[in-house]
Amino acid sequence: MALGVEGLRQAAWYPVASSDDLPFRHVYHGQLLGQELAIWRADDGHVNVWENRCLHRGVRLSIGINDGAELKCQYHGWRYANRTAGCTYIPAHPADAPARRITNRTYPVKERFGLVWSALTPEAPEPEVAERGFALRPIPVNATPEMVLAALVRRGSAVTELRPLGVVLMLKGAPGRATYFVQPVDAARAVIRGVVETAPDIATLRGFNAVLSVLRDEVEAEARRGALPEPIVPRYEPVSVELATMPDLVIGRQAKLRVVVKRRWQAAIDVTGLELAPLSGAHLPTFQPGAHIDLHLPNGLVRQYSITNGPGELTSYTIAVKREAESRGGSAAIADALRDGDVLAVSEPRNNFPLRRDAVRTTFIAGGIGLTPLLSMAKALKRQGLGFDFHAFARSEGHLPFGEDLDALGDGVTRHFGLSPAATAQAIREALGPHGFARHAYICGPGPMLELARGLAAALGWPDEAVHYEYFRNDHEIDRRSSFTVELARSALSLTVPAGKSILEVMRENGVDAPSSCEQGACGTCLTRVLEGEIDHQDVYLNATEKAAGNVMMTCVSRAISARLVLDI
Amino acid sequence: MVTLYDFELSASCYAVRLMLSILGVDYETVSLDIYPGADNQAQWFLALNPEGTLPVLVDDGTVVCSAIPGVQHLAARHDASGRWNPANEAVGEWLAVARALSASAGVARTGVAFGWDADLLAAQALAHGLLRQLDEHLWFGEREGRDWLVAGDHPSIADIAVFPDVVLSEEGGVSRQDYPAIRRWLDRVRRIPGFVVMSGVFPASPAHTR
Repeated sequence: MALGVEGLRQAAWYPVASSDDLPFRHVYHGQLLGQELAIWRADDGHVNVWENRCLHRGVRLSIGINDGAELKCQYHGWRYANRTAGCTYIPAHPADAPARRITNRTYPVKERFGLVWSALTPEAPEPEVAERGFALRPIPVNATPEMVLAALVRRGSAVTELRPLGVVLMLKGAPGRATYFVQPVDAARAVIRGVVETAPDIATLRGFNAVLSVLRDEVEAEARRGALPEPIVPRYEPVSVELATMPDLVIGRQAKLRVVVKRRWQAAIDVTGLELAPLSGAHLPTFQPGAHIDLHLPNGLVRQYSITNGPGELTSYTIAVKREAESRGGSAAIADALRDGDVLAVSEPRNNFPLRRDAVRTTFIAGGIGLTPLLSMAKALKRQGLGFDFHAFARSEGHLPFGEDLDALGDGVTRHFGLSPAATAQAIREALGPHGFARHAYICGPGPMLELARGLAAALGWPDEAVHYEYFRNDHEIDRRSSFTVELARSALSLTVPAGKSILEVMRENGVDAPSSCEQGACGTCLTRVLEGEIDHQDVYLNATEKAAGNVMMTCVSRAISARLVLDI
Repeated sequence: MVTLYDFELSASCYAVRLMLSILGVDYETVSLDIYPGADNQAQWFLALNPEGTLPVLVDDGTVVCSAIPGVQHLAARHDASGRWNPANEAVGEWLAVARALSASAGVARTGVAFGWDADLLAAQALAHGLLRQLDEHLWFGEREGRDWLVAGDHPSIADIAVFPDVVLSEEGGVSRQDYPAIRRWLDRVRRIPGFVVMSGVFPASPAHTR
């Protein structure tokens, strides 16, 4: 039995905790073959086995906060999502969405036979054990795993080996037969994890514990007499190539994910709800509240929809699609043609509408289907125990989707139905109130309502940076008559943009690709820094202050007033 | 009027601060810098406590020195419910464990953190022996429906007295990785209403939603 560390890594999955070690909102401190693990159960029952190290300053995540959906590092509050371990929020950068490559290392997990199993090499053969079992008190032993296994065999009878580090046997003096696995914690540390079929009484448990404790003392005495191997040097592997490269910066509208329509339902009058599950794999990529996905429809259209999920909910994305009276084919295709089980191509989530969590009070103003991104935001604040007011406006109760989700948000929710424009203005005015220190408002809804709310906020003294909004689309007619030159500073390329073509289109024709999503100046994906020149802003993403500053633009619709623009591309 | 003569980094003082906070007792703090300042060797302080040790609790003229007498005094004087110091001899046994932890895990911690004289390896080995016993007691407690050190559905002064040197043990090089039942009990203690942290002690995940 001399597999060595590498042999043991390849040979099997190993138990790393008892199921009972993971009670509500706890983080377990584990270790396997020298690699420290933070193990925690989310409120949805999923067990996460992660490298025990915050990506920021390396602090152990096992001292972090399990809030049921995310794990928060104690040091600077970075939050990591259930299932993916993707970072969802960095308190020191409250206005920004964390980069997708900030994803902690996860290990595979199975819960079986009363134990939590994991493997450093996912291809290792899975444990061949019964589904159910009762884990005895685990016994840590300061000796090599091989010594511990040998001692078990020596003191047992009717031995059946379960390679590489398990046995079924009757220990001398024990109250019964049991299955024992030796968890290789480190080169000279192990845990004996005994399992019996069903929960025994306390006296029996104490019997097993006493016999195993004596065995531990003997093995440790033996270990102290000899030379023990040095601790294993843990491997801190860099993040995967897939994560470390930044495809967002070099691709246009690509649909990397395949999802299946798990559920399609009438969420409200003229609103179709869609639950989209991964076609392969257990979960979808990490998203942050406010994020959207591009849905690539069978008829070739690409549309953006906000994710309504709460934090850590990554087994599916739930979106809502409003059937527009004058649909250009997008919403109609979804409302009429899609069926449960259909496969769709979607982009990875992208967040151009990030939520700050350092506000003393957050106000959400949602018009109809515009509640979707705000719902995800409010769920995140609710989970963190941060206060908010949520004002949902709709023509009638029947027009408002996700009523149950709103109910679950609690007291902060006010519903407004069938108000006249004047009454809507009054309700928004009251919801906003005068601007106060560290107050932030998030607005999403139909264009006219958004214009109204932004105007009211400005009149009430709210500064631009405290009013966050997202338009469904850009209703303004785009004036494409100008022609001008763009210089791409980093690419050392000078291009002529003729009338009738966008900067984005001209760049792509010349082999310079850039991220984009809505391509109508609403979503903010193609935001580009401008180094020189005067911009002809035609988007609805930037606010007046940002437009006046003149240092960023949307290349999909905005153009130049000056003869030349210099872009940071 | 309650006054606590306190050293922020002392595990013993922390036990008394915890009890004061959990019982909701109003008190004033006189902060001493015993390391590196050696304020506890000043004449005025030696007049109060000739041993020169902290904490010292002065409660309406009664002077109580050191952690366990302090915690016992607070439970006797300020806990009308009587639940914090139940008539159960197990309380005394666990207070003895608290003293032993102070003399092992506590000594290892002040040895590492302040450079005070200590046989570190011996202190750490003693501490691990105690933590093994504690983990076993708490694991069987979970099976028997007992959340705390002493039987009953309420924590006692034993939990408060044992907690500081356990929760700070890693500062003395005594890892708690091998004691999962202790780690869960530390979460439970940190969720007691009125719990306060100190340097090196983090709050537990809130679990009030269940």
